[in-house]
Amino acid sequence: MTTRREFLKVSLLAGSALAIGFRFDEADADDGKVFQPNAWVRIAADGTVTIVVGKSEMGQGVRTSLPMILAEELEADWTKVRLEQASPGPQYRSLGTGGSFSVQSQWKPLRQAGATARELLLTAAAARLGVERASLRAERGFVVSDVLQQRIPYGELVAAAAALPVPENVPLKNASEFRIIGKATRRLDGHDIVTGRARYGIDVRVPRMRYATVVRPPVLGGSVKSFDATRAKKIAGVRAVVQVSTGVAVIADHTWAALKGREALDVVFDAGPNAEFSSALHAQRMREAAAQPGFTTRKDGSISSPVVKRIESTYQYPFYAHAPVETMNTVADVRGDRCELWSPTQAPQDVRKNVATLLGIPQDNVTVHVTLIGGGFGRRLGWDYAVEAAEVSKAAGGGPVQVLWSRADDMKHGYFQAASLHQMSAGFDADGKLVSWSHKKVSSPHNARSKPTAEQMQDPTFFRDISWGVYDVPYDIPFIETAYLPVATPVPIGPWRAVFSPSSTFARESFLDELAHAAGLDPIEFRLAHLGGAEKLTAGDVTIDRPRLRRVLETLRAKSDWGKPLPKGSGRGMACNVYDGDTHVAYSAEVTVREGKIRVDRVVCVFDCGVVVNPAGIEAQVEGGVIWSLSSALKSELTFRNGGAEQSSYRDFEVLRIDEAPKIEVHLIPSHGDTPFGAGEPPVPPMVPALVNAIHAATGKRVRKLPIRAEDLA
Amino acid sequence: MTIRFSVNGRDEAVDVDGAMPLLWILRDLLGMTGTKFGCGVGVCGACTVLEGDRAVRACQVTAAEAQGKRFTTIEGLSSDGTHPCQRAWLEEDVSQCGYCQAGMIMNACALLRRTPKPSDADIDAALRDSVCRCGTYVRIRRAVHTAAKLGGTK
Repeated sequence: MTTRREFLKVSLLAGSALAIGFRFDEADADDGKVFQPNAWVRIAADGTVTIVVGKSEMGQGVRTSLPMILAEELEADWTKVRLEQASPGPQYRSLGTGGSFSVQSQWKPLRQAGATARELLLTAAAARLGVERASLRAERGFVVSDVLQQRIPYGELVAAAAALPVPENVPLKNASEFRIIGKATRRLDGHDIVTGRARYGIDVRVPRMRYATVVRPPVLGGSVKSFDATRAKKIAGVRAVVQVSTGVAVIADHTWAALKGREALDVVFDAGPNAEFSSALHAQRMREAAAQPGFTTRKDGSISSPVVKRIESTYQYPFYAHAPVETMNTVADVRGDRCELWSPTQAPQDVRKNVATLLGIPQDNVTVHVTLIGGGFGRRLGWDYAVEAAEVSKAAGGGPVQVLWSRADDMKHGYFQAASLHQMSAGFDADGKLVSWSHKKVSSPHNARSKPTAEQMQDPTFFRDISWGVYDVPYDIPFIETAYLPVATPVPIGPWRAVFSPSSTFARESFLDELAHAAGLDPIEFRLAHLGGAEKLTAGDVTIDRPRLRRVLETLRAKSDWGKPLPKGSGRGMACNVYDGDTHVAYSAEVTVREGKIRVDRVVCVFDCGVVVNPAGIEAQVEGGVIWSLSSALKSELTFRNGGAEQSSYRDFEVLRIDEAPKIEVHLIPSHGDTPFGAGEPPVPPMVPALVNAIHAATGKRVRKLPIRAEDLA
Repeated sequence: MTIRFSVNGRDEAVDVDGAMPLLWILRDLLGMTGTKFGCGVGVCGACTVLEGDRAVRACQVTAAEAQGKRFTTIEGLSSDGTHPCQRAWLEEDVSQCGYCQAGMIMNACALLRRTPKPSDADIDAALRDSVCRCGTYVRIRRAVHTAAKLGGTK
């Protein structure tokens, strides 16, 4: 246990700013050594409050939600709070943005830091005014003395406050005193976006910077055999053509010259071992693997009474790309034994480590500036594109170079969402009671950032932990058995929005709907009937809170016009999920199907993420999660042929457009508990099955394969 | 060849290959990075700018075609965020990552100049060629209506 004194550090910075250092991640806790903060709150003499923390903004709103938490305890003037992105240094052991953990992990440290700063300022004010500390209060950036009728701005107190000892046991506010947390708050950085001033990775400009693009082997795992740069070098503005480990880089005075040079480059590739690989072959391998028993990831209970009716279904899920609108890019500047990078990354520390390894230099010699991110969705947890930029800079003799991926590069060379196959089986007894459940997932573990070890590939708990939505089935069924079958693939697999959960939840919740129909029960009733039993269910590392799940279902029934008839050709369906044991979500979807064309009319979401920090931000995340999911169900699919991805832009990897966006209603379960949980990923998994179940209600057709194509509904 | 055109009311002259897209002239030569690259093949709308009152894809306009034309980019709406479309975008808190929003706003401006009071269907038709991967579409629709109320024909 660290004490408060070890947890916080107070200092006076040059320019008379009070700085409070603290740790924002328990994984970074010191091993009893000297306390090294990895996050700071700075209060400047002009009253500006800056939080310096290692969280990347990619649209999830951390640059607003995290300042809200701090400002609440500090009693800061909200308009003067900013978030500054920390760059990785030796004090960090885990720095990155993912897993919907940002608000959750920083909730307590930010509150404690804010409360401590407030206490220091109050103590400094008491000394200056010669009054009792208890007679003072903090209010929106001022210390107020009601007795003396005086208000001192925080900025005037920072120098004195920095000289004080760190106070112990500073009380945090009660939730009833919150005036910022829980209030719908607009994005702090919205202004920069609408004026074109916001700088993403692609917008970085440093003196003498060159622009580059890389020609990559068309086949996964292929390599460059030889190349002839004669024609490319004749393009005006092309400065150099160099080979790197990912392909051949064309370096030019501007992006257009680099792209033209790339077209003029003659490269002979060695296809390598995967030239025959295709999605069809992969699907075949998954079907073959499904015949094996696999690794058991959960086996609970026993079949209480004989099964008289068994229902079995197989669900299929494709590969997907992330396709953020800002393609991968990084500016790298290698100079001697140092390297400076500007990267739209979710994983700056990994960038630093891997660039240091590539260049054979100490990590301390690598500086990573994290820029705004034009869509992350998990893709930018990979460091490949940043390391590539460093390699290009070095191969070109050093100096700053921006490596920009074309849209086709981004589509074909990403870290993709894994395809999967799900074998579902359930049994009813003679009384029509569901007595057995089995879910076998056939898929591929992440292999892009690092490959699973030989030990992991024999360890059922490893496979359990990568099959969210399978082993953590929340329902109370006498016998539950889940399994995982790994299938090797040359496709680079990495985290995608909601990671392992979307495919599993699609299969589980669609199959639940099949079972409800087989039992002749309403799907909400059917789920509620199977959410009795223990209130808390522990499955693997997660705990399912069944009363919370029941509450979101009951709220959905109340808010969605559930049971109200819809016109012919339209239907309503629902699904629910508990994301990673934390955020509880239920959806209803209303669709109209005409001649195989699906129109999503209305989506209602009930969302329980514990403490609600910024309701406006959470609603935006749900809206985005709905659109993301509908794209995956109705539009996009990444396919492979002759060893490479077939899609190259939004023309063939289609995504939902504005004219296809449904009406979306979000109902947040009021703030409760003492912790906020994530909101970026949890909206995704149950949306697709709600849609699929609505399509069944509208048409009687059961969709068991994504994406949904018109011919599947014929 | 030397290309002369105006951007946000300022005359520019660049000496480039006539096939060079306006997008890269703006971003890499003139340092105006508010106009974004998303696909380079005219299917995402991230690079939308105004040519006169018309929305065009900067990645599909060559330097030769830009000769003598007048363009407005996101930077040219207003630097203080007071243009009705910018205000509406802030009012409706549209942006998530924000990367596609410059293109969305420029499309909305062009729509409002020809259709001052657009219906949902008008908005969908005008913006259906623009991709927002964060999924802000429902707010974009609201924001265009709000911009119309704020006098978005400007």
